[in-house]
Amino acid sequence: MQTEAKQGWLASRMPGMSCLCAMLRERRAPGASWLAVLPALLGVLLAVLLASGAVLSVYYNPRQAYASLQGIAHEVRGGWLVLSYHQIGASLAFALLYLKLFHTVLVRGYRAPAEFGWMLWVKLLAVLLLTGWLGFVLDGGAGGYWSLFNATGAAMTLSGFPGAVAMWFFGGPVGGATLARLLVFHVLLAFCAVGIILMARAATRRAQAVPQGRLVAFWPVYAAQYFAALSVLALVFAVLLGFAPHWGLGAQNAIPASTMVVPVSISYPWYLTPVAGLAGVFSGVAGHIWAVIAAVAVLYALPWLDRSGGAPPGRFYMVLTWLLGLDVLALGLVTAFPMGSGLPELLTFWFFFHFLVLTPLVTMMEAA
Amino acid sequence: MAESTANPDAVPAGFDRRDFLRILAMAGGAVGAASVAWPLIEALNPDAAGEAQTRPIITVSDIPENSAKAVQWAGMPILIRRLTDAQIAAATVVAMADLPDPAQISSRVAPGNGHFVVVVGLNTGTPCRLEGDSPSDPRGNYDGWICPCDGSQYDVLGRVRSGPAKRNLAIPRFTFINDDQIQLG
Repeated sequence: MQTEAKQGWLASRMPGMSCLCAMLRERRAPGASWLAVLPALLGVLLAVLLASGAVLSVYYNPRQAYASLQGIAHEVRGGWLVLSYHQIGASLAFALLYLKLFHTVLVRGYRAPAEFGWMLWVKLLAVLLLTGWLGFVLDGGAGGYWSLFNATGAAMTLSGFPGAVAMWFFGGPVGGATLARLLVFHVLLAFCAVGIILMARAATRRAQAVPQGRLVAFWPVYAAQYFAALSVLALVFAVLLGFAPHWGLGAQNAIPASTMVVPVSISYPWYLTPVAGLAGVFSGVAGHIWAVIAAVAVLYALPWLDRSGGAPPGRFYMVLTWLLGLDVLALGLVTAFPMGSGLPELLTFWFFFHFLVLTPLVTMMEAA
Repeated sequence: MAESTANPDAVPAGFDRRDFLRILAMAGGAVGAASVAWPLIEALNPDAAGEAQTRPIITVSDIPENSAKAVQWAGMPILIRRLTDAQIAAATVVAMADLPDPAQISSRVAPGNGHFVVVVGLNTGTPCRLEGDSPSDPRGNYDGWICPCDGSQYDVLGRVRSGPAKRNLAIPRFTFINDDQIQLG
């Protein structure tokens, strides 16, 4: 049977298939940015994470988390490699997502009609942050255990509806069965992330202007670009796998958790450190949790905080956005600062100041 | 044919540089995808503990003559019995016509390690654990094993000789990894 005939046969029986074929035949304006491939690469990384996570879940035992991961690394054939797939895949997924979010803020890609797509990307950030933190906790190492201990301790002091949600999520103070239920949430949230990324892509495509002028077909022009980007990603992945499999993961989780040894400070994987630094500034019953929610909320509200209308981004806005990037990077390093320096507070203040005051002000001024 | 010998660098008709690059890219991609997928599938094999359970190694050199060692494998009792020279000689001369399920000695023992009989210790009639591992146990009239449930009797090679059972004892998959040890599975 000819390819065309096969496609016709399938398309008349399965609705989604014609959509996939149409995507390959889609005509686009030539010369798109290399950054346009980021969502597709993120999708590939999520697929790697799901596949390696499925293999890990065969051997993972939440009631002896640390020992079972040691078993995976040493007793399972190629288990050390699958574990590294999962850890490096998570690292690179966060790297690509942070890059995507930063670029969107820089070029103001969040403005109408793309604001729905932007909201989905922020939702993806929230879901991946929670999934990443759960993965860190599921390690069963010293860092993960005490992070979970603090989180459940704070959550148990909540009352009313938030308290009820916390109780459903954690099932009470940290104990033998806590990781068993957190494993289920880790997996569920990972599947949610796949759904969100598909929706975000569809919404972003819909928001783009109808291309005019000379057009090129997706296949093979853009497909070649996607494959080239994928090759670069694979190369980075392979280099990390071979030379730095534990890069940025924090040494603390390499030690088994002990209920008798409290670490001075918890070392998170690099992709959680900005959030941990920002949350650490706030104290009180559940200050950490509300700080993270507030940080995601200001990102979510960005399309409305931007008062520029249709004007292109100005120079001052660009400078401020780069400054925000540095601010977030510095927040990731706060555990390296001496205690009581006031720097974490300043950096956290700047994060919220940027979105709540500077963004409306500067975009309004530059549009005028 | 003559052309290609004259110019070995000539490209076959209908095959240009683009085709070569496409094949190269597809082959590279396939190798890459396969090498990513390989460890994921490889890891689904049994781990070290599972492997030890699936294919256990059993020492047979400590079994005294005329006795059997019983091990549990795959949910079944496996009996490993060391025969005396007299028992081997007696088992070799049994007429096939006397056996309900005729089997030569060569099909009941491993070549080169003819002193050891490895069988599943369950009666092939009523599935009961057989008696007769130790010389002091009841062994029936044929010096082998007897079923305490239906009275079926087996000889030293595990061939059925009398009783409701009609088939010889099953032989599990095993290999002698050296003269002292066997590996099941």
